[in-house]
Amino acid sequence: MGKQEDFVLRALEERDVRFVRLWFTDVLGFLKSVSVAPAELENAFDEGIGFDGSAIEGFARVYEADMLAHPDASTFQILPWRDRSDGGPGTARMFCDIKMPDGSPSYADPRHVLKRTLSVAAEKGFTFYTHPEIEFYLFKDMPTAGEEPQPVDRSGYFDHTAQSRGSDFRREAITMLEAMGISVEYSHHEGGPGQQEIDLRYADALTSADNIMTFRTVVREVALSQDIWASFMPKPFTNHPGSGMHTHVSLFEGDRNAFFEAGAQYQLSRTGRQFIAGILQHASEISVVTNQWVNSYKRLIGGGEAPSYICWGHNNRSAMIRVPMYKPNKGQSTRIELRTIDPACNPYLAFAVILAAGMKGIEEGYDLPREAEDDVWSLTDRERRSLGISPLPKNLWEAISIAEDSELLAETLGEHVFDYFLRNKRAEWEEYRAQVSAFERDRMLPVL
Amino acid sequence: MAPPDLPTAGRLVRLGFADAEAGLDGLAELGSSAAALLPVLGRAADPDLALQALVRVVVALGDAGPAMLREMEADEAVAWRLVSVLGASQALGQHLARHPEQWAQLRDPTLATTRVPAYAMRASLLEAVGADPASEEPVATLPDLDAVNALRVDYRRLLLSVASRDLAHGQGLDDTAAEISDLAAATLEAALAVARARVGEAASQARLAVVAMGKCGGHELNYISDVDVIYVFEPAPGADDAAALRAASQLAAQLMQVCSDQTAEGSIWPVDANLRPEGARGPLVRTLASHVGYYEKWAKTWEFQALLKARPVAGDVDLGRRYVEMITPMVWSAAGREGFVSDVQAMRRRVLEHIPRDQAERQLKLGSGGLRDVEFAVQLLQMVHGRTDETIRAGATLSALAELTRGGYVGRDDGDRLSQAYAFLRTLEHRIQLFALRRSHVVPEDEAALRRIGRSLGLMGDPVAELDALWRHHRREVRRLHEKLFYRPLLGAVARLSDGEARLSMEAAGERLAALGFADPQAALRHLEALTSGVSRTVDIQRTLLPVMLGWFADTPDPDAGLWGFRRISEHLGRTHWYLKTLRDEGEAAHRLASVLGTSRYATDLLEREPQGVRMLGESLAPLDSETILAEMESVAGRHEDPEDAVRAVRGVRRRELLRIACGELVESTDIALAGEGLTRLTDATLEATLDIATEALRRQRNLDEVPTRIAMIAMGRYGGFELSYGSDADVMFVHQPVPGADPQRAASFAQAVITEVARLLALPATDPPLEIDTTLRPEGKNGPMVRTVESYAAYYAKWSDLWEFQALLRADPVVGDPALRARFTALIDPLRFPAEGISEDDILEVRRIKARVDNERLPRGADPHTHLKLGRGGLADVEWTVQLLQMQHAGQVEGLRTPRTLAALEAAAAAGILSEADAATLADAWRLVSRVRNAVTLVRGRPAEHLPRDSREKAAVARVLGYPPGTVDELVNDYLRTTRRAHAVVERLFWNEG
Repeated sequence: MGKQEDFVLRALEERDVRFVRLWFTDVLGFLKSVSVAPAELENAFDEGIGFDGSAIEGFARVYEADMLAHPDASTFQILPWRDRSDGGPGTARMFCDIKMPDGSPSYADPRHVLKRTLSVAAEKGFTFYTHPEIEFYLFKDMPTAGEEPQPVDRSGYFDHTAQSRGSDFRREAITMLEAMGISVEYSHHEGGPGQQEIDLRYADALTSADNIMTFRTVVREVALSQDIWASFMPKPFTNHPGSGMHTHVSLFEGDRNAFFEAGAQYQLSRTGRQFIAGILQHASEISVVTNQWVNSYKRLIGGGEAPSYICWGHNNRSAMIRVPMYKPNKGQSTRIELRTIDPACNPYLAFAVILAAGMKGIEEGYDLPREAEDDVWSLTDRERRSLGISPLPKNLWEAISIAEDSELLAETLGEHVFDYFLRNKRAEWEEYRAQVSAFERDRMLPVL
Repeated sequence: MAPPDLPTAGRLVRLGFADAEAGLDGLAELGSSAAALLPVLGRAADPDLALQALVRVVVALGDAGPAMLREMEADEAVAWRLVSVLGASQALGQHLARHPEQWAQLRDPTLATTRVPAYAMRASLLEAVGADPASEEPVATLPDLDAVNALRVDYRRLLLSVASRDLAHGQGLDDTAAEISDLAAATLEAALAVARARVGEAASQARLAVVAMGKCGGHELNYISDVDVIYVFEPAPGADDAAALRAASQLAAQLMQVCSDQTAEGSIWPVDANLRPEGARGPLVRTLASHVGYYEKWAKTWEFQALLKARPVAGDVDLGRRYVEMITPMVWSAAGREGFVSDVQAMRRRVLEHIPRDQAERQLKLGSGGLRDVEFAVQLLQMVHGRTDETIRAGATLSALAELTRGGYVGRDDGDRLSQAYAFLRTLEHRIQLFALRRSHVVPEDEAALRRIGRSLGLMGDPVAELDALWRHHRREVRRLHEKLFYRPLLGAVARLSDGEARLSMEAAGERLAALGFADPQAALRHLEALTSGVSRTVDIQRTLLPVMLGWFADTPDPDAGLWGFRRISEHLGRTHWYLKTLRDEGEAAHRLASVLGTSRYATDLLEREPQGVRMLGESLAPLDSETILAEMESVAGRHEDPEDAVRAVRGVRRRELLRIACGELVESTDIALAGEGLTRLTDATLEATLDIATEALRRQRNLDEVPTRIAMIAMGRYGGFELSYGSDADVMFVHQPVPGADPQRAASFAQAVITEVARLLALPATDPPLEIDTTLRPEGKNGPMVRTVESYAAYYAKWSDLWEFQALLRADPVVGDPALRARFTALIDPLRFPAEGISEDDILEVRRIKARVDNERLPRGADPHTHLKLGRGGLADVEWTVQLLQMQHAGQVEGLRTPRTLAALEAAAAAGILSEADAATLADAWRLVSRVRNAVTLVRGRPAEHLPRDSREKAAVARVLGYPPGTVDELVNDYLRTTRRAHAVVERLFWNEG
């Protein structure tokens, strides 16, 4: 047992922790948790905790159900909302790696998918950093089927309202996130009523993905404690902006930012340009992962902050990839912002496919297409075609169809996840297709 | 000292001078001291070199020269120190000629007994560059170039002392290496002082510690080698983090330059910082926390192995010490990390993987029996046992070996011999390097150099030959000992061995077995005990054999099964005279036996029934051709009157050949197509021999002079396609043709009886895997007659046949029995199966419809369609049906498509442009992979399976048979799924005409 494991065991003792939650993520991005008593933890470090993988969405075929969750001691945290102020017993969590009984990593584990992709990049000398800006809505009550949800306020972008529930909420959420070692960079009220944005600080992609999983849990917990409901649904209202997760990404070679090149256009190195080209080239293929729900595509049609077309631009808010303004003497912070991804994705898979697409651009030396300088929304279809700007998939079905033929996606996700994920998505689409919606009733019943 | 005889040319030659003329000239330069110094010169490694160099020093000293000679005359110890260095090291001789005053270094009488302490070296070198040794952070004050040169000059002055103690006073290797390490540490300190001067004010922003790794860290450095270091820094109090990082990086980089730069005074040695976290790509300097973070999270086992030797040597000693204190516990807990066992095995393979033979011959370090062998083995043992035993954690190889021996982890004799061999090889390396102060691990080939080195080691008689003999001896010892170092003491835990053998406790033995990958160490110890207890000769051989075998078992997917199988076979064959002798004398056979037993239940079962097969493992494992097999089968059958005995003998040959093919796939990775072909040919021969026996038996039974009919067998299905696997049934059809004048009725009855007899004889209970004959592909299936005439087949096909029967005929291959009859049958079916115009659109739809039904009905309930070998997505059936559809469409036109073999048909189709090269390759890849998996599964499990195994251990073993490294099982699954998915996409397009 290593030092970190020792540290965890000591901390359990000192903080009087009675329950340890072992967290892992299913293929669709839902957090799974199994609680163990501290006494079992030592064993869990050595041998893992056995569980029935077939019960977890996308993990295993029934006959090879035996899987082991191996806690990653470096992710140990006390859960602040469970940490009783009276000093009573607390609860802690650790993320797990999922392994097969022989100790080899499971290809079904999204965390392993990301780790594998990271290590491929590491072999080429790169580390991958991400910085997500997570948007979400706060509602007054738990959602009830068939009822229009009520946002907690009517404010807009950056509005500061005295005693708004939103700012109370953000303060408490951020306190709790910081207590869990997750640094928050900014937070503010977003464009829609009740819509919030909280930006996490730069971290390596694995930590960042872990942080997003934690973040979603913390935000929901805090909301519940204030009797409100938080949702990361990409597009809850037809008429208000959707919730995205604009993500700034960059590659480092050792401690040098590989996207930075002094004197180049936008200080963007060849590696950076190829990385962008890779994401653009494969954008339609990875769309099913970065935007995985039927509802995700409703956000992407809406305009505003959400992109619908595959292009890049410098400070162009209508572009899918934005190269932010370079700040002098900040070579280390050169980065690009990907604006498709939404907060209801599985962050492990999403980061993996983004990295894989970008790395493909570097390996194959893709040329970066022309920059989009105009507001892409305002162009006509023909103008866009003549500029070589193609649309993103318009709905989940299109995304699935394109993904099915993607070797990049299969290679990155691994055959198991690739197959499971697409099967699941097809089923979601089929189910959705069969629904008669309020739109249809409202339009047709009166006239037909 | 009384002057002996005057020097003459003859005397010089006797003393070992090569060039007596030059010698006499040189001696003349020494004037009156010549006579007294001659015997001393005669003891030098290279007397000519020593004399020349001495003369040059005398000349260089000018007026002071005679005084030196007088002192040498007066004190033989002084003379010998100087002469021994001059005679062994050209480089130090040249150095002395440039700085003659440094000869005084060797006047110190305490050199004979006392080592120059490390702090004195440090002080001397710091003062040489004008730095204050008392300062906490000494800074060089000499101008930069002067400081760099001064450092080199003073470094060599101190090296003179070390070399003279080494050469003149017979100091042990461990002490010499330790002194060289101290000198290196002092040099790093002085170089850091120069670096501080270069960096200037900013240097004080960071506290930097230099931690030596590798040989320097282990206190066992060579005269000249890279010095491995790692840098740790902390910001100085009040300093900004970024500034500190910058300062520390600069200091570290400058330090390396100071040591390695080439100046007028040469260079010292390269400093290598590549053992740092992330290697050459990682940042040069890290804070303590960053180091710790890295090792906690990312480090690999070999990196911990490198840390075994970490030792702070320069800079901020306190910081360095804290680094070592933080890191040490991690090193020793590394053995508990996941993946440790597989890492250890990988490291062990690295020990065994030697550089190519032609280079290995004269290599001291890497070659087989080289220094690296000893160092790796010792470190590995430390990692395994050091976790629980703190007394075996020394950094230096020799000390560690001594500790391991004392602790009983290495046999006493083995430990002593290994230690001697290591010391010899290292000393040899030292002497090679000392000559030109150049890094080299290769023993030179020229006579003069060998002579010099031999003499420096005290081999005065015939230095070249003696050196060669000694070197060979020690290298052989290392080779012999290091292989069993890990395994031999395991026997000591269970068997009573002679004194001097290690007695590993049961716990330690269990630990070691577990580290080797044995899942049940207790059972393994019981097997070892059973194999080695007693006093017979057999047991003696087992004791020498087992340590090596254990290593080989450890390399297999299932070491426990391997050892257990070995025990059973040994118990069966133990007393057979050739058995252990074969294993002992033919290393290859033993190695193969180990890997077969630890991998394959199928082959283990065969071996248990046919222990004689062990012999075959020493031979070529390529499948024999069918004529050879048939000839042998016929000759063994001929020795038996009784048909049952005859067939049993035939089946014995088959069993042995099955074992050969199985072992071929396991240890020589026989190509899948070749293995299939071998199994098919073997079946041909078996059926042919059995058919002959049965025919003859029935002829006699029915009292006939002549057989009334000729019989042939037609191979169908996988058998017809040369694609048999280990567990496959043989699909066949029978055809007969009554001889002219025979009664057709009687002929048919005779043929029927023969066939029944063939099936009966092959199904008799025996110790070989049964050969099941499946005749259901015949016309009318189970309801049709077992055998027909060609005419009857023709009538049937003309009238009744369904499309699927023509499809089945694609793989019909008349192979056994009467040749003329076989040819007639082929002539009958060719137009049926290869229609000139191909098949109609309706027929194509019909083929698709049948396949759709088969896919649906034949896949067992609950089977996973992704991993079902035969009927799964992109599995064998998918590929074969696609190929067969192409054959039915195009074989009428394309000659090459008229083959029962899947791969050959694919190639022909691609060549004819019927499908693209890429599609053909995709299908062939899938077919090969699935077929390989199918064979591997049968070999591993001992019986066939329809699926990629679900049991994780079986899956791991299959992965190993297919050549996947340990711990990458899910990678095989992923590859399988990918390959078959791609094939399926091609099938969708070509067969189903979709997508």
